[in-house]
Amino acid sequence: MNKIFAIALKELKEYFKSPIAYIVLIVTISIFNIFFFLIIDQGQEASLRDVFKIMEFLFIFIVPLLTMKTFAEEKFSGTMEFLMTTPTTNTTIVLGKYLGSLIFFTLIIGLTTSYYFIIEFFSQPQPRVVLAGYLGLWLEGALFIAIGMLASSLTKNQIVAAISSYVVLFLLYFSISFIKYFSGPSATLIRYVGTWSHAENFAVGIITTADLVYYLSGILICILFTRLSIENRLWR
Amino acid sequence: MIIAKNVTKYFGGFKALKNVSFEIKKGEIVGFLGQNGAGKTTIMRILTSYLPATSGEVIIAGQDVSKNSLAIRRKIGYLPETPPLYSNMTVRDYLKFAAQLKNIPAKQQGVQIDKVLDECSLKSVQDKTIGIISKGYKQRVGIAQAILNDPEVLILDEPTIGLDPVQIIQVRNLIKSLEYKRTVILSTHILSEIQQIAQRVLIIKSGKIVVDETLENLLKQPGANLEDIFLRLHSAKENE
Repeated sequence: MNKIFAIALKELKEYFKSPIAYIVLIVTISIFNIFFFLIIDQGQEASLRDVFKIMEFLFIFIVPLLTMKTFAEEKFSGTMEFLMTTPTTNTTIVLGKYLGSLIFFTLIIGLTTSYYFIIEFFSQPQPRVVLAGYLGLWLEGALFIAIGMLASSLTKNQIVAAISSYVVLFLLYFSISFIKYFSGPSATLIRYVGTWSHAENFAVGIITTADLVYYLSGILICILFTRLSIENRLWR
Repeated sequence: MIIAKNVTKYFGGFKALKNVSFEIKKGEIVGFLGQNGAGKTTIMRILTSYLPATSGEVIIAGQDVSKNSLAIRRKIGYLPETPPLYSNMTVRDYLKFAAQLKNIPAKQQGVQIDKVLDECSLKSVQDKTIGIISKGYKQRVGIAQAILNDPEVLILDEPTIGLDPVQIIQVRNLIKSLEYKRTVILSTHILSEIQQIAQRVLIIKSGKIVVDETLENLLKQPGANLEDIFLRLHSAKENE
């Protein structure tokens, strides 16, 4: 358990020692703020629903930048050999890295909580709806991170890792747009696999078991596959 | 201490190791000698359980590497061919991270880190970022990491490669100063290095062990030197 935190802490320190952490933080928060202002300025409703939608969309672009180096860089620089020859299980390594990225992502989301207080100043938002929206947003990001980490574990090249996670995230996010070309069970399947229908519920304040299961099982599956993909015993 | 029995390793269709068997006793310093691509790194990676062998078994301190890999990794210190360093960490932070992963109790970490910093003469750069220190220092940080948990077995893959003559001597002396405490395996293609450090030589050629002798026996014949033996072995096999 301590080792998971040690690895997560190392990941976090690495984020903040490279410029990418600051660029991601500043750019992300600036874009969020601009959209938040635009939406509030139109004075539509006392919820963060539209803001959440935009944040969710932008996470598709941001998360692969955060996760691309998790394993690809270690493999490229040879430090993977160090990690895997210390008495540390592969599960610990994967969980530590996942936790590190998740904490950084949580920090980004945490910086947007001021939005709630701003809209509260103008109107009466429902705290439960906003909280549900944040939970949905966080789970969505957590799933994206798991996918990005899996992509990173499959390659030595950070660019390949980033691009393959973009492809998967785009498919998940935009699958709903293609649904009209399908019908019957395949349409149901696409609706279930895509993130749109699940995130939507959270944004309007509905937390259902089905949506929780969707996100948590997705995260778990990606973590398990990452664990498998770094296992030399199977592949080499 | 270390027993390898009929270890074979395939990479796809390529047979990198062919029935490699050897035994290394406790406290021995053994040099793996061979050309680039002969299989030295592969053997070391199998010993450290980084790679699984295709067939055969490796037993270290009475335990099978493929079955008790975690227990064995606790007893091993390993320096891979490229020192596995995080370039944006300071030397001390890196060793701290290594100590955590190597199950060194939190209270002893500081003491242990100071000890290896001393042994590897790294005190002066301990707060410098690894990315900016010289290659010789990096190599020594790699060695410091390997000896951090006082391993019974120390495996060093080409510890002096890419260093300048002064640094080579420093690293060699460092390895020599460690020798009385533990079993050391090192690989190199620098012949004089083996002569200076090792007691026993394993010469590997195309995945096979062609010589397994103590240095003393090998150099018994008058006028024999390691370089001649090495070159003779290689040209002889190629003519076959």
